[in-house]
Amino acid sequence: MKYKLTHKTEYKYAEPVNNYHSLLCLTPRILPRQLCRDFTISIEPEPARIIEHIDFYGNTTHYFSLHSPHKTLTVLATSVVERLSETTGDPSEKSVITCEEARLRISEDRPLRVSILEYILPSPLVKWDEEIRDFAKDCFQDGSSLYSCVQALCSKIFTQFDFVPDFSTVNTPIKEVLAARKGVCQDFSHLAISCIRAFGFPARYVSGYLETLPPPGKEKLQGSDASHAWISVFIPDYGWCDFDPTNNVVPGERHIVTAWGRDYSDVTPLKGIIFSYGKHELKVEVDVIPIV
Amino acid sequence: MLTETSVNLLQSYQNGIDSYDEILDVNGRVKPHWQALFSTMEKLGLDELQSRNLEIISKLRENGVTYNVYDGPDGMNRPWQLDPIPFLIEQKEWNVISKGLQQRALLLDLTLRDIYGPRNLVKDAIIPPELVFDNSGFCRPCTDIKLPSSSQLTLYAADMARGPDGRMWVLDNRTQAPSGSGYSLENRVVMSKLIPELADGMYVSKLSPYFNSLQNTVLRLSDKSKDAPNIVYLTPGPSNEAYFEHAYLASYLGYTLAQGDDLMVRNGVVWLKSIDGLQKVDVIIRRIDDDWCDPLELREDSRLGVPGLLQAIRLGNVQVLNPPGSSVLENHSFLAFMDNISLYFLGEKLIMPSVATWWCGQTKEMNYVAEHIDELIIKKANRRSKFRSIYGRLLSQSERADLISMIRLNPREYIAQQEVSLSTTPSLIDGNIVPRYAALRAFLVADEKGYHVMQGGLTRSSPVKDRFVISNQYGGLSKDTWIVSDKTEEVQEKIVLTTPAAVNKHISLPSRSAENLFWVGRYCERTMAVIKFMNITINVLNLDRNFGGSAKQEHIKILLQSLTHLSYTYPGFIEKEELLQDPYSEIIDLVSNSSRPGTIAANIGAFLNSVGAVRNQWDLETWRIVDLIDKGYHELMNASSMNSNNIQKTLEGLHNNMFMFLGIISESMPRDISFFLLETGKLIERIMSKVSVIQSNFGAKNSESVENELIEATLINHHLLVSYRQIYKSHLSIEAMLDLIMLERTHPFSLVYMLDELKNNLGKLPSNMRGERLNEAQKLALEACTLVKLADISALITYDRNLERKELFHLLSEISRLISSVSFTLTNMYFSHTMMQHSFINRMDSDKDEI
Repeated sequence: MKYKLTHKTEYKYAEPVNNYHSLLCLTPRILPRQLCRDFTISIEPEPARIIEHIDFYGNTTHYFSLHSPHKTLTVLATSVVERLSETTGDPSEKSVITCEEARLRISEDRPLRVSILEYILPSPLVKWDEEIRDFAKDCFQDGSSLYSCVQALCSKIFTQFDFVPDFSTVNTPIKEVLAARKGVCQDFSHLAISCIRAFGFPARYVSGYLETLPPPGKEKLQGSDASHAWISVFIPDYGWCDFDPTNNVVPGERHIVTAWGRDYSDVTPLKGIIFSYGKHELKVEVDVIPIV
Repeated sequence: MLTETSVNLLQSYQNGIDSYDEILDVNGRVKPHWQALFSTMEKLGLDELQSRNLEIISKLRENGVTYNVYDGPDGMNRPWQLDPIPFLIEQKEWNVISKGLQQRALLLDLTLRDIYGPRNLVKDAIIPPELVFDNSGFCRPCTDIKLPSSSQLTLYAADMARGPDGRMWVLDNRTQAPSGSGYSLENRVVMSKLIPELADGMYVSKLSPYFNSLQNTVLRLSDKSKDAPNIVYLTPGPSNEAYFEHAYLASYLGYTLAQGDDLMVRNGVVWLKSIDGLQKVDVIIRRIDDDWCDPLELREDSRLGVPGLLQAIRLGNVQVLNPPGSSVLENHSFLAFMDNISLYFLGEKLIMPSVATWWCGQTKEMNYVAEHIDELIIKKANRRSKFRSIYGRLLSQSERADLISMIRLNPREYIAQQEVSLSTTPSLIDGNIVPRYAALRAFLVADEKGYHVMQGGLTRSSPVKDRFVISNQYGGLSKDTWIVSDKTEEVQEKIVLTTPAAVNKHISLPSRSAENLFWVGRYCERTMAVIKFMNITINVLNLDRNFGGSAKQEHIKILLQSLTHLSYTYPGFIEKEELLQDPYSEIIDLVSNSSRPGTIAANIGAFLNSVGAVRNQWDLETWRIVDLIDKGYHELMNASSMNSNNIQKTLEGLHNNMFMFLGIISESMPRDISFFLLETGKLIERIMSKVSVIQSNFGAKNSESVENELIEATLINHHLLVSYRQIYKSHLSIEAMLDLIMLERTHPFSLVYMLDELKNNLGKLPSNMRGERLNEAQKLALEACTLVKLADISALITYDRNLERKELFHLLSEISRLISSVSFTLTNMYFSHTMMQHSFINRMDSDKDEI
């Protein structure tokens, strides 16, 4: 599938902002099954420079700063992204390596361990304890294939949790989400990652977009899509496999990958430091429009 | 007799030794330099040594040398403690130690470059990957942050102690923003001033080459096309425990002391917000920790750093040392792998050993730790965690088992270290020379040839017996550290600065410092104005109480109300009639209540804060006066338990000391922007306070007897009673008084004189106006000045049916208004940097263990 992707973020400030520094992580990655063309960023008011940088995880970031008073800021990122129908994580022959075998491989293959270690360790937003382990215990059977175990976990999260947009913030701890059985894609991804790491397997956080389909027979509404998050698990002998615990699907051609890291804190789409008093309002509009 | 005591001092010290001691060599003989030091101390005598010790204590206090201890009994400012007995290391031994330190620094530098580069140490299995990826000092955004020099680890400090085998061991590494070199320097300065004869017959190596080397390195890093690079010493601010050192080193090295807010990144360049506008910064020596450097890419909640700093470094527009990310080396686990790292990089063994360390993330090591837990100290590998070291031997059997199972749960998070025994060294404790455990911090700086080791260091000894408390936070003694030899064997290398001797020809004044200087002037004058007028009022009150009639007189009421107006402590005497009946409780509150704005205590507090915030501006003489004011301030806080006589004495003492403060400033401070700002603040406050008193004393006409009292009080308030009497003898007239206090050009406390001075001062501040035009502040001052000059005194003293002197009142109100506008305008012109910084994203604390 081919999409026109637009991501518009608008800030409105009560008081003029004189100085602003921002770091964006909005560029779709170029992957074997994902092409990105015509990526542009336009910022209003226009900064003197936008500096591109490749971060530690290979994600593309953009830095800019503003130094004259402004009361609104608009960041618009657009691109044309093509997803091939063959996608990651949906192999024609599913990986059969068991949890037990995977664990052995990870502990004995040193170069492998070095390359995935930071996705096994706790990270700023992903920590775990016995309670989290207990939640996932029935999903991880030593003799079952790791792939199916992760699938079971995602399915468990999908069936037991409610998608409730305003329940959580970026700072809501995983345990709170677990107790309330509700949250958004970011919470479900963090929960899934903490469970997978609790059993010693590497999992990373993927940020991107998902094309939403309108109800049958209806027109798609503008701005109805959203940025999305899911997870990727490293399965020895196979590689990184994506899972979407929010929708209980294997990410396919409707999932567009922007960035990955240990958790959300590594791939925050838009970070900013302002010098001002007063409050601000935020509006985000995302459109993932198929190009026929 | 003399020889007998001589034997006794050394002998009695030796008798007290119950561990291996610095004064003894491996064969148990007293080392020659210690022998010499003891005989010098003998000559001085214990009493003299003790009295010099007291001098040292008071000198350090006067010099304002502090190490702030959080929640300490002395509050924030804890005087630095220096033992008069130095720590001696013989030059030959030091040369060996230096080689070990240089090798260590080189290895750490290679490790740092490798971790933020190819990570071959991990790939080649020299260190476990956890040392990088599970290291809270590993800052992922810093992987492409490099200094344009071969070594990245520019400043390095190592904590060392002597092991039982007589060799020095490395206990710990300081690699991001090492502290202590400034204290070492100040220790040396104080020692050589107050107890110079201790070095008799020895040659003590100098510390200055280290600092010269640092200056050269910084110069090499700066933009070579500029002959006066802008170098900033970045401090977290006055609440940091080592702020004294930051200010001290900044002024010693000739760099601009700045806080994060004083800097800003614009177009990828770091600028200093100075009073002359934005100035490009070339090099930053930072004293803030890695993760606080840039809230955009590191800790979002940091208010100490500079947003965009990492980007500016990446673009090569500024050099920061040590480069952010270097705290990765402070992880304790590295000590366990230094031998292997040395073999890997250099193919040689460590010259100086590390304290034996085990990282629990390895099975074999974990088992060793479990078996030997009673000999070990358990620490978290990541220094940043709040975990306090656990001494295995202090635990019960079950506590040990609990500890081991806690480690086994997350073994990679822990390290264990051999509990090293330290050497003892002679320390002066309660008037006796006794052995105390000591450890030494050594300082290195990268230079063109490798690493330069300071010929000395910071020794810290434990104030308590048989236990070592190394941290200054918990109270410890410092010692000057002498590298000694018989004579100058090698001629001291003459250090020549490669580029202009004055590193910063023009030291920029950050806007924040400018604002603080302005407020130093204002608070100083404000305090003096209230003290002065309060003393006048108390004198009148006392006179009335002792010699006056029974009824409270009208003039006392007016003076008390003027005091309320002057100090802005409403309602005070204005509304509360009962306070007028017994004014003393309100007066005591006005003196001592530091939490009530406008009181003397509150004003002095604010004065001391402003002074402290720009402490690099003051020389020692000034600082000594500040110390006296500080003492008076503490006395005042207890004013409620003092009688009025003592209160007045303390107030007079304070007033004198503040006068002296202003005197030293006017005699010694260079006539630069700092001076003119302080003067401007002082003048603004002085004009406002004098105007306030005239206005409230004479705004309404009173009976002649009452006005005579008020005239006298006002003349004293303007330091003009003597001049007045010389001219008018004992005849008191309001017209003559107003003429004198308002229009007498030759008198420094007349309105016209002060306004003229203010106008002149404003003209000397940097102006963003072109040519000779007046800026807004100058116009306002000129207007006020002209209004006073044009005043017709005979018209001013007239009053209406309601006995109000409307003309006088309005003129004074207008002057007040104009002068406060001057202050407001200056704030907008020079100090408008105090914008709050917000992060869009809510606070996110990655250190919390919350899941």
